[in-house]
Amino acid sequence: MGDLLRENTLYGNIYDWAIGIVGEDLAWLAYTVAVMAIILLVVNAFLAMGTLYTWAERRIIGRFQSRVGPNRVGPFGLLQAIADAVKLLFKEDIVPRAADRIVFNLAPIAMLAPSVMALAVIPFGQTSYLANLNIGLLYLIATSGIASLAVMMAGYASSNRYAMFGAMRAVAMLISYEIPLVMVLLAVALLAGSMSLVDVMTSQAIPFLLVTPLGAIIFFLAISAELNRSPFDITEAESELIAGYLTEYSGMKFGVFYLAEFANVLLAGAIFSTLFLGGWPWWTPLSHVWFLVKVMAFAFIAIWVRSTIPRFRIDQIMVIAWKVLFPLSLVNVAAIAIEVVAWPERTLPQLVIMGIINWGITAVATVAVTRAWRASNGLRVSPSARAVRLEVG
Amino acid sequence: MQPVDNAFQEFLFWLLAAVTVGCAVLVVVVRDMFRAALLLIASLMSVAGIFVLLNAEFLAVVQVAIYAGAIAILVVFAVMLTRDVPEANRSSPIAPAAFTMAAVLLGALIYSIMQAEWDLLPEDVPAPLAAVFVDTPARLGTMLLNEYVLAFEIAGVLLFAAVIGALALVRER
Amino acid sequence: MYGSGMMKGFGVTIRNLFRKPVTVQYPEEKVRQSSRFRGQEFSWFEDRCTGCASCAKYCPLGIIRIVTSPSDRHKQDGADFNIDVFDIDQARCMYCGLCVEACPYDALHMGTNFEGAQLRRQDLVITVDVLRKRAKHPSTWYRPQLERQDFDPYKQEADMQTVAREPYYWHPKRPAMLPESARKEATADGEYK
Repeated sequence: MGDLLRENTLYGNIYDWAIGIVGEDLAWLAYTVAVMAIILLVVNAFLAMGTLYTWAERRIIGRFQSRVGPNRVGPFGLLQAIADAVKLLFKEDIVPRAADRIVFNLAPIAMLAPSVMALAVIPFGQTSYLANLNIGLLYLIATSGIASLAVMMAGYASSNRYAMFGAMRAVAMLISYEIPLVMVLLAVALLAGSMSLVDVMTSQAIPFLLVTPLGAIIFFLAISAELNRSPFDITEAESELIAGYLTEYSGMKFGVFYLAEFANVLLAGAIFSTLFLGGWPWWTPLSHVWFLVKVMAFAFIAIWVRSTIPRFRIDQIMVIAWKVLFPLSLVNVAAIAIEVVAWPERTLPQLVIMGIINWGITAVATVAVTRAWRASNGLRVSPSARAVRLEVG
Repeated sequence: MQPVDNAFQEFLFWLLAAVTVGCAVLVVVVRDMFRAALLLIASLMSVAGIFVLLNAEFLAVVQVAIYAGAIAILVVFAVMLTRDVPEANRSSPIAPAAFTMAAVLLGALIYSIMQAEWDLLPEDVPAPLAAVFVDTPARLGTMLLNEYVLAFEIAGVLLFAAVIGALALVRER
Repeated sequence: MYGSGMMKGFGVTIRNLFRKPVTVQYPEEKVRQSSRFRGQEFSWFEDRCTGCASCAKYCPLGIIRIVTSPSDRHKQDGADFNIDVFDIDQARCMYCGLCVEACPYDALHMGTNFEGAQLRRQDLVITVDVLRKRAKHPSTWYRPQLERQDFDPYKQEADMQTVAREPYYWHPKRPAMLPESARKEATADGEYK
């Protein structure tokens, strides 16, 4: 059972120290202590970075919008997240009378749990991971599926029909975007030859961003939708259905949802950098620093996209998922499958050739989709308008 | 390999078994439909935990992905969108007969499980079988596309038919 | 070019990232108002005021209260009054500036303050002592003579002469009220051309 963590030196040190205390008979106790220590370290670091990320996002979005973000609370406003947390703790914890208490209270936990669970497989640097599951990518898919369940729980338990609408729309969006996401992960698994995230990291002689740009773009859009992030944040924008499935949540429960959302962005950044940005040759000595830099780069791009692109309507989001991203992801998988069969060794020059072909496919696919879009009046007509037109003419 | 290596795994097994059976019983007892659905999902997830204990982590992850990620949503949507479901598991006249049937079935199952001679896998697992434990997806994938390819393709056609049916149902006239 | 619209949008945002933000960090910095801003903290020159109470009569809200008593100042050309009470209720004041427009002697001017909030309503009433003691930074609202001098109420303080208009026919006998340039034109018996 402890074999998974053998290569992790921190785990090894704590395990040996604990074995020295309790002896070999209670080895499972030593294992538990060592594993708990590592989990506490990783989880706390993750959650702390999530709160720090809220500060960074508010400051950077402020600068994108020609204003200063929060800068009053600490030096440069760094303690703003703590001030928010304290405020949320002080708020009254309102549970609607008709709400399902147990499910209502469980939903925020079910929302935060998958993002913390997904940390188990992500390599933070060389030999620095919690578990080298040989099915790491599948594990990530599984944990992202739990989040949509949490949204449904939140919406139903609020016993508020508008929260229910918001939850339904959110879940529809989440499950629609899981398909292109899974297809892209499939393509990356084909390229790397393994589903293990550490193998994906090490097999990137050149980053997969250059080898499969279409996959990276689809992944970025799909994961933005999974994170309920602009431009797909219709479920939680204030002008839409108050706060969607979060309407009835106040106080720290809302704080947990909020934290889960921002921590998920960092998690998505970690996954993106593992799948598409990993494997530079300067990996080894400063691998953790490089990892953080890549995560922050993803976070910056996510913030940039958020400040620039206006929100899509829910029907536009569905159309993008099913009519644009899904066919493109199928094209991506097909192309990569053919390339992997043609050049099975995946050495650096072969990856470069694959990359060139894929860039060509990306360009052709973009042009084709845009042309088809323009011909069909794509995102412009809303379904209600179309219904009126059908009635009249 | 032993089913449980140490006391901790044994404790985990009993915990997961209790959760599975308990949630399954509660599914048919609880009054609120949505809670019954959630308890079903909890039961299935603890089954995934039992798979992990059996060194079948691929199955465990697939169990979570399919059941909690897809079927759970399906069940919940079905519960949401069905009208007139005020209360689940109301007491009905055939309850005693149903309980008796269930008890008889349970007795038969327990008896046959205790009676059977279960073969444990030997300590050193023979070669083709060991490959499954080392790299389950690869072995499964190879088998699906070599020996069971017909079943695989039929499943694909079935899913295709389901998708076309769904599209036909929601077409705008 | 495909995607050019989106690239332009991204370019706009990224350019904004590197520009200085337009935020004014209150309370360390305050937004600079114009010199004609009709603010709080009225400037009142008692030496110019005759107690005519035109401002009180013009005020559409009736918030100026003036109580005067007879005095011997400037007896030769219609005596001024002693101002006993001169209350302006800033709680109701809408800062329209009509009182300032009404004053024939350029005694009352708008101020430039916008941060005069108090904790109690009664503290918002300006009494005559406050008006007397306060430093005078008259806004140039309805005072072209101040505009002509490029008077900046945020930087300068004014005195009785600065706010004076050109010679006007109803204060011939009071050379002190006139600006420097016009004073020598008043003849000995106080008549103007």
